[in-house]
Amino acid sequence: MLAMRPRWRKVLADLWENKARSLLVIVSIAVGVFSVGMIAGAYVIISHDMGASYASANPANIEMRTAPFSDELLAALEQVEGVEAAEGRCFTSVRVRTGPDSWTSLNLVSVADYRESQINLLVPLEGAAEPGRREVLLERNGLEKIGAAVGDVLEFELPDGTVRSMPVTGIVLDQSSNAGDFLASPLAYVSFDTLVWLHQPETYNRLYVTVSSDSNDEAYIRQVADAVNDRLERSRCQVYRTHVNKTNEHPLQSTVQAILGVLGALGVLIVLLSSSLIANTLSALLSQHQRHIGVMKLVGGRTFQIFGMYIVLILVYGMIALLIAIPLGGQAAYALAQLIADQMNFNLLGYRIVPLAFLIQTVIALGVPLASGFVPVNNGSRATVLQAVSGYNPGAVQSGWIDRLTSQAAERLTWISRPLLIALRNTFRRKGRLALTLFTLTMGGAIFVAVFNVRSALNNYLDSIGHYFLADVALNFDRPYRRNEIEDVALRIPGVEAIEGWTYASAEVLRPDDTVEVNLQILAPPAGSTLVSPNLLSGRWIEPGDEKVITVSEGMLEHYPDLQPGDTLRLKIAGQEDEWTVVGLFKFVGVQGLVGYASYETISDLLTQPNQAFTYRIVTDQHNYAYQDQMAATIDRHFRDLGYHVSLAEAGSDSLDTAAESLDILITFLLIMALLTATVGSMGLAGTMSMNVLDRTREIGVMRSIGAVDWVVMRTVIIEGLIIGLLSWFMGCIVAVPITSLLSAIIGQTVFATPLDFTYTVTGVAIWLGLVLVLSALASVLPARNAARLTIREVLAYE
Amino acid sequence: MPLSAPATQPLIALRDVVKVYATPAGDFPALKGITAEVYPGEFVGIIGKSGAGKSTLLNMITGVDHLTAGEVVVRGPGDQQPVSIHQLGENALAHWRGRNLGVIYQSFQLLPMLNLVDNITLPMDFCGLYRPFGSRGRALELLRLVDLEGHAHKLPAYISGGQQQRVAIARALANDPPILIADEPTGSLDSLTAETIFELFEKLVGQGKTIVMVTHDNSLAPRFTRRLYIADGALVEAESYASQ
Repeated sequence: MLAMRPRWRKVLADLWENKARSLLVIVSIAVGVFSVGMIAGAYVIISHDMGASYASANPANIEMRTAPFSDELLAALEQVEGVEAAEGRCFTSVRVRTGPDSWTSLNLVSVADYRESQINLLVPLEGAAEPGRREVLLERNGLEKIGAAVGDVLEFELPDGTVRSMPVTGIVLDQSSNAGDFLASPLAYVSFDTLVWLHQPETYNRLYVTVSSDSNDEAYIRQVADAVNDRLERSRCQVYRTHVNKTNEHPLQSTVQAILGVLGALGVLIVLLSSSLIANTLSALLSQHQRHIGVMKLVGGRTFQIFGMYIVLILVYGMIALLIAIPLGGQAAYALAQLIADQMNFNLLGYRIVPLAFLIQTVIALGVPLASGFVPVNNGSRATVLQAVSGYNPGAVQSGWIDRLTSQAAERLTWISRPLLIALRNTFRRKGRLALTLFTLTMGGAIFVAVFNVRSALNNYLDSIGHYFLADVALNFDRPYRRNEIEDVALRIPGVEAIEGWTYASAEVLRPDDTVEVNLQILAPPAGSTLVSPNLLSGRWIEPGDEKVITVSEGMLEHYPDLQPGDTLRLKIAGQEDEWTVVGLFKFVGVQGLVGYASYETISDLLTQPNQAFTYRIVTDQHNYAYQDQMAATIDRHFRDLGYHVSLAEAGSDSLDTAAESLDILITFLLIMALLTATVGSMGLAGTMSMNVLDRTREIGVMRSIGAVDWVVMRTVIIEGLIIGLLSWFMGCIVAVPITSLLSAIIGQTVFATPLDFTYTVTGVAIWLGLVLVLSALASVLPARNAARLTIREVLAYE
Repeated sequence: MPLSAPATQPLIALRDVVKVYATPAGDFPALKGITAEVYPGEFVGIIGKSGAGKSTLLNMITGVDHLTAGEVVVRGPGDQQPVSIHQLGENALAHWRGRNLGVIYQSFQLLPMLNLVDNITLPMDFCGLYRPFGSRGRALELLRLVDLEGHAHKLPAYISGGQQQRVAIARALANDPPILIADEPTGSLDSLTAETIFELFEKLVGQGKTIVMVTHDNSLAPRFTRRLYIADGALVEAESYASQ
């Protein structure tokens, strides 16, 4: 320390002299560096661990939901060219008791031999690694919903109404089976020899296949899937749905990365905002140091030496910010990755420092302040000795159009109090500083408002999807029942107003060479159903009398980009191939697979189940969620009591609620980023107000000397802050429009595989107005208090 | 005391120096062709009333302000070639000034965030003369010269105005320049303190320094070895100045 050159002592003294200013610069750099580090770190960790963790379970490249099949067919499938290994599992939909009167759906998975299993491997987390006879293992993801632990005995209600109790002997992680399906029921595992006790046949209904060659080549996997499909059909085993997955890519990897990309873009924006704050603060610092610079030049200091001193000061700011942001960003990155891993049900490979994030943070922490401080430092270090010793400042007097406007307003608006007028004119005095402050606060507000708009757009989208689920209660059976019989029973239940029997079928969309292009789930409400209110993109909906006519979700355009109403698709349903006319395209959740609607009459004939249905949509006399939930339980009990095989009775909006819950996490992160931008914005305002007060120390002294009391001085400063806040709010509301549009497009495409409709809601605008007024007032109060504390003597002694 | 210039090589030579300020009311000639010389070992007083142009003249000698016409030539110590200082660029001039001139202002112009030692070593640092430890020793010597050794590690705000001016003199001597330029150095000090500053200047002149000092106080005239009177931007005879 003794040997430190005096110029560096001055740099250190500058850093220490005005702690509030230094803190402002350091925190504004640190916020940007932290957020970018957090997102970059999480991105790298997720990119690597999501795929690695998923691949470690040796996930099935092909997953097929099929009609029951046996070991013999499984052995035959292993001989299909391109098949490395094939395994069958049996999925049974049951209900598990979660409370005295509450049940939740659950899929019981039976594996023939846990030790020999090679696909979709389970990772034991606690207790037993495989279930014994009449024991169950729970999958980690469902623990919260079921609320059970190892050692608990759970009650399972089987499809035929029988209730069986099994002890939970272990917790496992299954990263593959439900990967990519937000709406899937929790999983539990039993041994194959428990199946009979559960009144299930010892057959498989789910096929998992790994391919022998390039397991990350989707085209190759599809080719093998076609061959497997052919082999199954030759054995008259129907395939309901097929999924293909790459070994090293989690099905949701691109979705998660795209969302992190959006958050990353917001992080970069925060860095940009903080850079304008840094530029503002350094500009003020250099302006206040004009005298120091002049004196240094007087005693021999050259421009480059002084320039170097302030550049070092900026680097020290950056280094301190880096020291704060690196550990915090690293921890937050891992925490964010862990949260995503928990949500997506995969394991992280352990905490580590991400070199790329470290590098990005270092470049930002040192590069951004240098870039934003270059101009103010370059200009400031050219201050002359004459300016220092004489106080001569050629740029002090300004007379732009804004100044003339405020002068004219001052003359005409005689009813405005003079202190208010001073505040109004002060606002526009330092235009460069005002512009940077407004930019920061405006962008913070615009992002805040845009996040609320996107949230609203997401909710609107879910609502519009809800138009496909208008029933109050969905009632499913595990075998078809005659529609008029079920209708009679249901309408006798108090509160039930109407009921519709729907059916559904799996269809294969065939290419000209008879291979399968894609699977399609067809829902078949009765023609003229009032329980679907589709969001049609083109064409029309199903009408009474339609035969071999279908409407398809817009996801079909990915396979047939030129598809239009009137075109035909060759579909294979229940073994029958036919040309179907597409009469309409509608908007739907793309990631949930392709969906089509056809008339009940056509599909039930094809399935040779005329006038029968598995699934029923019920309308009750009230439509709130609590009532729907209560009615679902009543209807469930009623039908079970009468001996019907109910597989599911749930409130109509249950599935949507699950989807909405997943979106809440996304919204929370967007809001956190929005609040960070707002924080940087308000820090910018606080800095600006402090600098303005410092610049006007002499004026404040003069005001006090002619009678301005504390409150008048404070009010002038606070009103100035509020004017800036209001201006930024107004501009933020406008800038929010393109930002909303961009965010809606990216998030909609990422999450739902369809752009969201533009939505602009007053909620965000109103909350931001309140917030910006509070932040502006808070940002101005401290500088205002400091201004009011100045005594006339101190002011005269200033400089 | 000699009132005319000694017959040796001048240290500072002003040749027909003109300074005109452009103002909204039109051009204002602050200096109207000043020619003068300052010789080694002199203690020259430039005496004039407020607005006469004396500080402007000093700014021409230090190169702090640009002249409109004329030339200021300063000879460095030893065998250095005379330098026409207004021919130098800003950076070269700052470096040259740091090595060859010590400048003292009425308002001290110390850096408030540096203690007295650091204020004094700063010119050494900028001019490439800073030596770790050695420079601090020299700064302490200079503080001893101005009787402030005991305050070495204080900030300027914690010492009196007179003490601050003595520190400013110590800083001006940091790089051991042959010339000191002082602009009303006693202007903001009480008479007793002003006297100590004056005594210090006389001591430095006795040690071989050349000092050019500006003042409006004609009563100080007998203390200088030579006097230059300035009125309305031009040098005038003593008698003419006295009659104004």
